[in-house]
Amino acid sequence: MCKQILQFCHLGKTFGDHQVLRDINFTVNKGDVTCIIGSSGSGKSTLLRCANLLETPTSGEIIFDGKNILTEKSHSKYRQKVGMVFQSFNLFNNMNVLQNCTVGLTSVLKIKKQEAEKIALRYLESVGMSAYVNARPHQLSGGQKQRVAIARALAMQPEVLLFDEPTSALDPEMVGEVLTVMKDLAKSGLTMLVVTHEMAFARDVANKVVFMDEGVIVEEGTPEEIFQNPKEPRTREFLSRTING
Amino acid sequence: MNFLQKMGNIFAEYYDWLLQGVGYTMLVALVGTIVGLLLGILIGTYRTIPNPQNKFLRALKKTGDWILTAYVEVFRGTPMMVQAMVIFWGYALVNDGNTMDVIVAGLIIVSINTGAYMAEIVRGGIISIDKGQFEGAYAIGMTHSQTMWQVVIPQSLRNILPSVSNEFVINIKDTSVLNVIGFTELFFQAKTIVTMTADTFATYLAVAIIYFVLTFTITRILRFVERKMDGKKNYTMQGAGNLDADAYAKTQAIGGGNNV
Repeated sequence: MCKQILQFCHLGKTFGDHQVLRDINFTVNKGDVTCIIGSSGSGKSTLLRCANLLETPTSGEIIFDGKNILTEKSHSKYRQKVGMVFQSFNLFNNMNVLQNCTVGLTSVLKIKKQEAEKIALRYLESVGMSAYVNARPHQLSGGQKQRVAIARALAMQPEVLLFDEPTSALDPEMVGEVLTVMKDLAKSGLTMLVVTHEMAFARDVANKVVFMDEGVIVEEGTPEEIFQNPKEPRTREFLSRTING
Repeated sequence: MNFLQKMGNIFAEYYDWLLQGVGYTMLVALVGTIVGLLLGILIGTYRTIPNPQNKFLRALKKTGDWILTAYVEVFRGTPMMVQAMVIFWGYALVNDGNTMDVIVAGLIIVSINTGAYMAEIVRGGIISIDKGQFEGAYAIGMTHSQTMWQVVIPQSLRNILPSVSNEFVINIKDTSVLNVIGFTELFFQAKTIVTMTADTFATYLAVAIIYFVLTFTITRILRFVERKMDGKKNYTMQGAGNLDADAYAKTQAIGGGNNV
């Protein structure tokens, strides 16, 4: 059952002279919930943005379904299967909640409007936002926006969903509602790759944790391995600061 | 009070001339602004295309960029009155002295002149859109042109509408320079009326009033359009039976829906 779906091979990324990612190797299996943790500037968001090709890696390969996507001409096909949820939501400001969730279905997947609305409503319901279909993004709270953004990504029925610090821009009160939705998704078997500062989420929901520092993967393993028996001193240092601090 | 009477006489006697002038002025201003805006949108979209990987395509894109920059700079950097003369008589020169239809010439000149300004206005509108809007669209698999037409251009248009209204108003007034090629817009008509009444002041005052009424009406209409584009301030909740939503809504610090 351990079918690998997404694989990073010797991935590197430089911005000018600055090497942000160095020789990143790791594999995401189908149904995995992988959390990437690490301090700010460790390259974890860049890694996730590379995974969606919002940044172009400067070396290495990203293998999806057995194909290196970096050599593919069009990114569109790949992105339809690998969704992304952003820290700053990025809902389309010129559309209401429903349109935000249907526009990908109608314009990218060429699904008829009626059918698209049905699909969108189903996912909006699953994140508890179906009552807000007529609202515009600026009329929603941060937590509501993020739940709509999750519904928008889900509506495309992706094989993998990437989360780039989905709760970092939220008020403490609203973090919970988004994490609850994410927990439900994890339970449903969705393959998720999550960059997060929520250590409790990583510990309780992930089945794999990756710790990054200064552009390299320092350590990876199960939550028990990372949180209870970290092997590397750098991991121990980071965890002692984030969990006790 | 004598001149008021004279003005009244001018309105009464030459109203059909004035109306014709108003008609042509508005025609050329409207067409020029719309075509100019379309040109601006096309140029703005082209300029934001990410650089292609392929060497040949990149060179092609560079050349296109260069031509568009030249177009914008030349037409912004020279007076429209001069452009009108150059285009009108240039056409006649290469066509053995046959001149272009004056109406067509006027429409073309104002359109491409406005296009040069609009290109910059639209570019400003596009770069004012948060990068996250592009990324959100790319992330669900939209291509660059889908992203532009569905997400970015609609938002840019809303943002640049005040500048577009401004261009429209400028066009209503500046079409007066087309009198140099014999375009029978409002100012041209005024000149003709003066030759008959010999009352320069009253004629031009009447025309000034007409110009002002035109521009003022247009700005009010466009302000109304802006408000329409912003949509309703409130929204209605749908399907109150969605227990999840209600449960979530109760945990919200900011409640939605009933803030009338």
